[in-house]
Amino acid sequence: MDRRDFIKTCGTVAVVSMLNRDFFSQALAQQKDGMFQAYKKALLVKQDGSPLKEEDIKPHVNYIFFYPHTATPCYLLNLGESIPPAEIKLKDGKSYKWGGGVGSKKSIVAYSAICAHQWSYPTPQYSFINYYPPDTPSETTKKAGIIQCCAHLALYDPKAGGSVIDGPAEFPLASIVLQEEGGNFYAVGVLGKDQFQQFFDNYRTELRQQYGSTAKARELVDKCIVMEVDKYVQAVVRC
Amino acid sequence: MITRRDLLKSAGVGAIALSVSSQPVFAAAERVVKMEALMPPPKGNRVVICGGGWAGLTVAKYLKKENPNIEVILIEQKPVFFSCPISNPWLADLVGLDFLQHDYLQPASKYGYTFMNDRVIAIERDKRRVYTTRGYIQYDYLVLAPGIRYNYSAWFGDNRELARLTKVNFPPAYIPGSEHLALKRKIHEFEEGDFIIVVPPGAYRCPPAPYERACMVAEVFKRNKVKGRVIVLDPKEDIAPKGPGFRAAFEQVYLGIIEYVPKASIKEIDPVKKVIKTTAGDFKFTDANISPPHQAGELVWMADLIAKDKEGKPTGWADQDPLTFQAKADPHVFLVGDVIGGVPYPKSGHMGNSQGKIVAKVIASRIAGKEYKPTLPDNTCYSMVNGSPQEAIVINVTYEYNEKEKKITPKPKTINERSEALAKATYEWARAIYRDMFS
Repeated sequence: MDRRDFIKTCGTVAVVSMLNRDFFSQALAQQKDGMFQAYKKALLVKQDGSPLKEEDIKPHVNYIFFYPHTATPCYLLNLGESIPPAEIKLKDGKSYKWGGGVGSKKSIVAYSAICAHQWSYPTPQYSFINYYPPDTPSETTKKAGIIQCCAHLALYDPKAGGSVIDGPAEFPLASIVLQEEGGNFYAVGVLGKDQFQQFFDNYRTELRQQYGSTAKARELVDKCIVMEVDKYVQAVVRC
Repeated sequence: MITRRDLLKSAGVGAIALSVSSQPVFAAAERVVKMEALMPPPKGNRVVICGGGWAGLTVAKYLKKENPNIEVILIEQKPVFFSCPISNPWLADLVGLDFLQHDYLQPASKYGYTFMNDRVIAIERDKRRVYTTRGYIQYDYLVLAPGIRYNYSAWFGDNRELARLTKVNFPPAYIPGSEHLALKRKIHEFEEGDFIIVVPPGAYRCPPAPYERACMVAEVFKRNKVKGRVIVLDPKEDIAPKGPGFRAAFEQVYLGIIEYVPKASIKEIDPVKKVIKTTAGDFKFTDANISPPHQAGELVWMADLIAKDKEGKPTGWADQDPLTFQAKADPHVFLVGDVIGGVPYPKSGHMGNSQGKIVAKVIASRIAGKEYKPTLPDNTCYSMVNGSPQEAIVINVTYEYNEKEKKITPKPKTINERSEALAKATYEWARAIYRDMFS
């Protein structure tokens, strides 16, 4: 580790210092490959502004929030069962450790909702990338309990750190690292290969229209309003 | 150096396809012989890509992403990109022309490759040179992605006048540009009678396109209250792919407007009397969209990389490795997109994009001196089957490779039940790939 890496890692350590010891060492290890990026610690809240509690996160409901930037959407899911940690393998041979679910049942997970293939994402008008609960299989792929993008049918496994199940995506969905403290949930960073740069590059015009400026769209958040996806999106497109 | 005989050979093939310049061949030969280098020799590794369609554009971008030190030159004769996918909804005014058109400069500038708006007139594989109208360019690797050409000679033999009359008056509109603009004008000016759509025989670009086009033409007729029919003459026994979805649209959305005629192989076309004779009967028409058989684009013929059948006759499509897309006859040439043959891949925009990424990885690995085991491409294809409300159907195909049998097997998944959700997904599909190639 050279001096520059050391300083970089120390910066990350400072931000994640409130995490438990296991996660701390895991994040530090992952930092070596640049697979973990710490952002502002942000409290997950309900639409009325009060902290989101575990009982508010109903099983298999697709929730949306924005993290780490004002304009970058994420999905929050309670998968209804304990989700163990997993080793996420990338096509280039690299891998990283994903911490599994959080909450009392270890069933709550969160992912970036920007498709890792060609960056489709939920907008106030449409969402082409969505969670398909176990009782609602995709009509095209016949698979359930997945996150699927209808633009080009990239399929991801929310039980396995957002790994690619099928389709054209080269990378898993980036996962949002959640921390539970005193019954409240915080987002603290992004694990895996995020797609934020491509997202901001490709949607410059749309994001300017929605947020007023690129700078505003890129602002880092310290509070995330969590809502059901169909309360944010006019048309949830399933396929 | 290219010989006069070589040029005669390539120009002879082109003449059949009605797509090579009518300039005297000897003059062209002399011009090429005298040509000087258009660019200085490469300092490192140079990849020249001929064809700026879905496949060529993708190879250019992803090569630079794989290794920014590779010099990439994309040669395309059109100054502006005009998309064939989504052109059918555009025929019915469901999207504007701005949705289909894109500039070549944005990705070239962003990813650092050279866009050359020029025409390739000869290829000398032994010297690794591509000749454009302005000079030659030396390459280390050559990617040919020219798309398709029309094979009117399959219908008209040497009668170029009949071919010309058919093409000019009833354009196929499978090669974007004037033909698409002409077809749209014809559809919107149509007042009454029978409008015929001829489905090309054999392999052709975008297998569901003629059926989607029939829906979109019928949509315009319905909207304009035209007393007319759209007659689809198909050499196949049934609609494919997405047969049930298209058939339902024909019978439910456009009942009485679209008439589908299977097993209608073309026997004779009279573009003056406006009569088409087929194995399913003779059809007189008011106007038409007539597509002749397709073949691999001109440059593959020019490079002498067309596959041959057991009898030694050209198959019309490129002869390439099914996994790496490398030309079997030349390790320095890669063939990609609609030109390829011998694999069960549809000739589609999505497939060109998907293959382009694989080819970029293969070439970048070769340059790096590394082995790369290519993955298989995939295809997703939405078709608009209703314009009011807008509704679409979809097919997705992934592929499996059997190493033992050296065989690629398609695994299709289809939604034949049309929906507005899929219509929205159609545009998202296109936007996302345009974004991938241009942004």
